[in-house]
Amino acid sequence: MSLVRDGLDPRRVQHALVCMLFDPAWAAHVRGQGLVPELSERERALLRALDPRALATDPHRRARALHVLVEELPVTAAVLGVAACEAFFSAPEFRAGVFGRAAMTASFAAWLGDRAHGVGRLESAMAAVRRAKPPADRGRLGCPPGLRGVVVPANTLAFYLRVREELGPDPVRSLAQREASSRSSPPRRGTQFLLVERRPDGSLDLGSGSEPLVRLLCFAERPRARTELELEAVRLGAEPADASALIDELLADGLLGPS
Amino acid sequence: MPDFFARLRALPHLGIGISTEYGARRGDGALDPRALRRDHPALARFLEVGVEVVQGLDEDARAWAAEGAPTTYHFLDVNLDEPEDFDAEWLAAVREVIEVLRPAWVCGDAGMWHFGPRDRGHMLLLPPVLVPETVPTMAAGIAALRQATGHEVLPENPPGAAFVGPMHVLELFTAVAEAADTGVLLDCAHLAMFQRARGLPFDAGFDAFAWDRVVELHVAGGTEHRVDGLVFVEDDHGASVLPDTWAIFEAALERASNLRAVVVECERNPIPAVLPLMQRVASAWAVELA
Repeated sequence: MSLVRDGLDPRRVQHALVCMLFDPAWAAHVRGQGLVPELSERERALLRALDPRALATDPHRRARALHVLVEELPVTAAVLGVAACEAFFSAPEFRAGVFGRAAMTASFAAWLGDRAHGVGRLESAMAAVRRAKPPADRGRLGCPPGLRGVVVPANTLAFYLRVREELGPDPVRSLAQREASSRSSPPRRGTQFLLVERRPDGSLDLGSGSEPLVRLLCFAERPRARTELELEAVRLGAEPADASALIDELLADGLLGPS
Repeated sequence: MPDFFARLRALPHLGIGISTEYGARRGDGALDPRALRRDHPALARFLEVGVEVVQGLDEDARAWAAEGAPTTYHFLDVNLDEPEDFDAEWLAAVREVIEVLRPAWVCGDAGMWHFGPRDRGHMLLLPPVLVPETVPTMAAGIAALRQATGHEVLPENPPGAAFVGPMHVLELFTAVAEAADTGVLLDCAHLAMFQRARGLPFDAGFDAFAWDRVVELHVAGGTEHRVDGLVFVEDDHGASVLPDTWAIFEAALERASNLRAVVVECERNPIPAVLPLMQRVASAWAVELA
């Protein structure tokens, strides 16, 4: 049974093939009888006809992709352990990212959720800010592409900076040399409000922000109508009479923009 | 726009060329394109430059182009059947590279170069799905890139170990070329991989192929490997060319009536190691070496 009932979209077949190449268990699932909602029966039949051995000709495919993720989210990998991160490639979030044409770091962030606590959210925000593109102006407002607010446990920023420094210039090598039992334990209590900002040279600036501002930026990650932002600002503590002027001020300061 | 066969008259006869891509000469003893051109000009008439725009052009490619020597632009980063891939930023970068190289044409594997957006860790190369439904989107992409660059765009049959779909790869590329009204780059080594993967003789599918659209051929070395008893070929561009690649190449020379160029893909090998295979290519194509 399949949710995509019929038709044959070569791109969907290719996306499924990518997932099969990264995940032998899912490849076996496609060949089996269970539900594969991503594919029509015709598409699945094409993939079932493949010799499974032909999917195993590149034994390092997954390791290369994992290397990229660990390089970009090294403190997350230090918290979870590199081996645990590899489970991402067998997760629905990985497949959703491939089928949805998302950046792998974004799918990884979706899979991470709260697995690595605040550092996972912080490094995910950093990855998102690095890739941010100028927004299509749809008449709405939102967080500028090079800026994110992140709410994390207290002391997360200091923890991140300390572990990142410990990992040195080649975090992948450092993590590979670590004992599996020496995973870093991140802060879990209290709250810290952080801003991640991309500088013009592409590097990132990490700092703290006020709770209302960071929470408003989190709210504005999705494009919003101006009235929605004003209502949220009031919910976060602004005086109703001042909400419009506050949004104007944030727009003038580049903390909100067209989205 | 005139049809392909009218446009073909404007395409130059490039002869035998060699390939390169960013940083290819970093390895010990890797081929120096300009040294080969200096010492054996008939074997390096042009340089096919593999381009991933995020990396741009290396010194070898820039130096070659600066001398005004002929080039072709081989893309390494566009999924022709994905309209999203033709974003303004990428196209602008492609045009910048074209300004530097002034290539005779643009070419490249018509497969999946990356999943999702262009990003680190996303790169791979999968052959197209061999079904009729692939044809219109692939053809539209070729036409769009031709229009955007002002250059002919020649789709190339990609390598692979896993080919999905019932069509023969030559049947698909004939249909794509006709729908896009374009020429074709036939990679003989990649075709040998396909024929082997399907258990077919080297010349299977030849009768229905649009040989008159073949503008360029590739010859490259490959290495056999085995996984759980399955024999497959790694397209490693080494100095050892498989017998079936040679057989395909020699048969292609007899049939490709509009052939303009042959690339020997051997960029990471020392010149002495690849001279014999380049000389064999020249001999088969009746190219004067003197």
